Amino acid sequence: MKKTKDNNNNFYNEYIDNSNNLRKNFKNSYNFFNDLSSSKKKLLANVRDSIIRSMGITFRVYDHNKLIDREWPLDLIPRIIKEKEWTEVKEGLIQRIKAINLFIHDVYHKQEFLNENPILKSLILDSPNFLEECKGVFPKNKIWANISGTDLIKDHRGKFYVLEDNLRVPSGVAYMLENRNVMKKVVTDLFNNYQVLPIDDYTSQLYKCLYDASYSKEEKKTIVILSPGVFNSAYFEHAYLAQQMGIDLVESSDLFLSKDNYVFMKTISGRKRVDVIYRRINDDYLDPNVWVKDSVLGVPGLVNSWKEKKIAIVNAPGSGVADDKAVYAFVPKMIEYFLNEKPKLPQVKTYLCAFEKDKKYVLNNIDKLVLKPVNESGGYGILIGPNATKKDLNNYKLKIIKNPRNFVAQPLIKLSTSPTLIKTSIQPRHIDLRPFILSGKNTFVTNGGLTRVALKKGSTIVNSSQGGGSKDTWIVN
Amino acid sequence: MLSSIAEKVYWLSRYIERIENTSRLINVNSDLLLDIPHDRSDDLMHLIQITGHLNNFKKNNTKENVYFFLIQDENNPSSIKYSIEMAKINSRYLLTMLPKSAWEQFNNLYNDFNAKSKPHSEDLYRIIRNSQRFFAIISDGMQRNDVFNFIKLGRFIERADMLSRIIEDQILRKENHVNKYYQNLQWSSVLRSINGFESFKKINKDNLSQEVILRFIVMEKLFPRSLKYCLEKLLEVQRFLPKSSTLKKDTILLLKNFECEEIYRNDKKMLNILDDFQSGLIKIDKIINKNYFN
Repeated sequence: MKKTKDNNNNFYNEYIDNSNNLRKNFKNSYNFFNDLSSSKKKLLANVRDSIIRSMGITFRVYDHNKLIDREWPLDLIPRIIKEKEWTEVKEGLIQRIKAINLFIHDVYHKQEFLNENPILKSLILDSPNFLEECKGVFPKNKIWANISGTDLIKDHRGKFYVLEDNLRVPSGVAYMLENRNVMKKVVTDLFNNYQVLPIDDYTSQLYKCLYDASYSKEEKKTIVILSPGVFNSAYFEHAYLAQQMGIDLVESSDLFLSKDNYVFMKTISGRKRVDVIYRRINDDYLDPNVWVKDSVLGVPGLVNSWKEKKIAIVNAPGSGVADDKAVYAFVPKMIEYFLNEKPKLPQVKTYLCAFEKDKKYVLNNIDKLVLKPVNESGGYGILIGPNATKKDLNNYKLKIIKNPRNFVAQPLIKLSTSPTLIKTSIQPRHIDLRPFILSGKNTFVTNGGLTRVALKKGSTIVNSSQGGGSKDTWIVN
Repeated sequence: MLSSIAEKVYWLSRYIERIENTSRLINVNSDLLLDIPHDRSDDLMHLIQITGHLNNFKKNNTKENVYFFLIQDENNPSSIKYSIEMAKINSRYLLTMLPKSAWEQFNNLYNDFNAKSKPHSEDLYRIIRNSQRFFAIISDGMQRNDVFNFIKLGRFIERADMLSRIIEDQILRKENHVNKYYQNLQWSSVLRSINGFESFKKINKDNLSQEVILRFIVMEKLFPRSLKYCLEKLLEVQRFLPKSSTLKKDTILLLKNFECEEIYRNDKKMLNILDDFQSGLIKIDKIINKNYFN
């Protein structure tokens, strides 16, 4: 195959530079795949598929109202990042999550940062992610978002940017771990060719992080993962993490509260006290006494128990307040305010229409920007200016004028591409990266993370439920 | 171990054992039909009787309908299809509880069965083999932990239940009509349906009488599909379970009932004991529920 450049150098190709030469670290990997005959490529793909099948790596989707398990899509060409570059990213991520945790704590206590930023304050107090009930709570080590996944992208020059902070129940880490296990089996020789930093200590780090979040002084602690159940798309991950940590995977019906507000689980030898819940359900469903009243996923009274420090909940309820597009715009300011440092990791310039100046700019440049509603997630309500019709743009303008506080805008970032095996040919596809960060007494960042790839030509949608795939991410020195 | 997981393991195991038993029952009896010189479908109706869901069978008792009801009818809680689907639902929760190969083997069983729109006799043999393979992986490659114990518990309760139904059914059928010549044939088919013909023959070369066969099926402690063997396995598991004293007491009681010599010669008394046995198993199931699943 010819090395194809992406159209007009619009995108950063992670393997090939602008003069159509292979970048230094990528030569081995590229040549390895490029030299494979079609039948050998097919063979490797078959080996991969049968390993994935026998390891049972699946994700759940609804197809015509039927729940089916799909095999996890893994592209065999690895995403490669140099260790030196990664170390800088890592430092940036640690700095960022520290500031965000201090910010959340401030939101539910003195609100000093909010008082200095009145527009943000009014946005936060109105936000459905701000939970009144969490005011005054002290999670262990003042950490609210113990587990986060930060979405990173590379711009057209190949520089990492933060696109989004996921502070509620970020998923994907089990797939990151299993991708590596599959790659080691399928492309063993190539793997040996690089010095790839290991990632397999994640689950023991996670266990430590959960352990440290406990209020209990007992040395032996009972930690569980609370899952919405088998019909959840991430159930595989819940089960996987529970197994790898050797802890129980529970659903709400396994848990109950004693009269004095301690949390117990039902076991064959009777009730057993629980110290830490790693919950994989959203805030609103955690406790039917407090939030969504008819939630069957939650445990009645759980929030009270948490407020009395009788159970630790990870991530703490209310941490979603910082998982918001308007708050995102303030993270660089938070870093300076709380840590007195300059941000190490850039993020995408964000215009808050709540600000008069930003609103004017957005209205005048709407055809160059990506418009996003503040309180939506999962890509809903997004308008991509350069691709939109005049009519759409005008309609959106009216929406902004009517309710400016609901909107933010960002310049369109051109996601980098990586060569990807499409059947038996190698083609560039857009990718992003989700590293996972654990915060407790110490902060831990995974070596790399889950690289997601949009398998459809030209697409930038990387979600596995919408035709996205994944790559193993190699941090190499 | 979580109560909810224990319950799912227990039922997964019961359903897989039930799938295997039902398959074997159907296969042996369709062989038998070939030997009996009249193609009367009410010879098959007794299979439905054994599974305990005669009331749900509303169609004409043609061979086709009876087989459909027993194998594929999703609305019949005693069909193979129903058991397989229920096992699947329970298995979803057990991804990380079973050895990976056992989990895969169950999926093979499931996919294999569902791949056929109309399973034939050889497909039922495959179900039997798949189920055997599943339990072989469990007994050969699994740590003796609580999950293992509940698999064993479910399996032997299910097996004992099915055994007692088969014996009961055979005694009742004999009373009803079939002539003496075919009785022997039927008793040996009972032995076949519990995979015990050869073992029986090794011990009893020439005596195929009901009394001897009954004694074998009920009390032969070295044969893994005898009632005694099942009950002793249950006692064995109970040693490792918490809060199991009433359970033990009740199991021992069941076993004692069969020690009475008279029942092997007196159909009526045997039927009474079998009745008590089945209510006894229901009681044991209730205790398990109360002790471990709530």
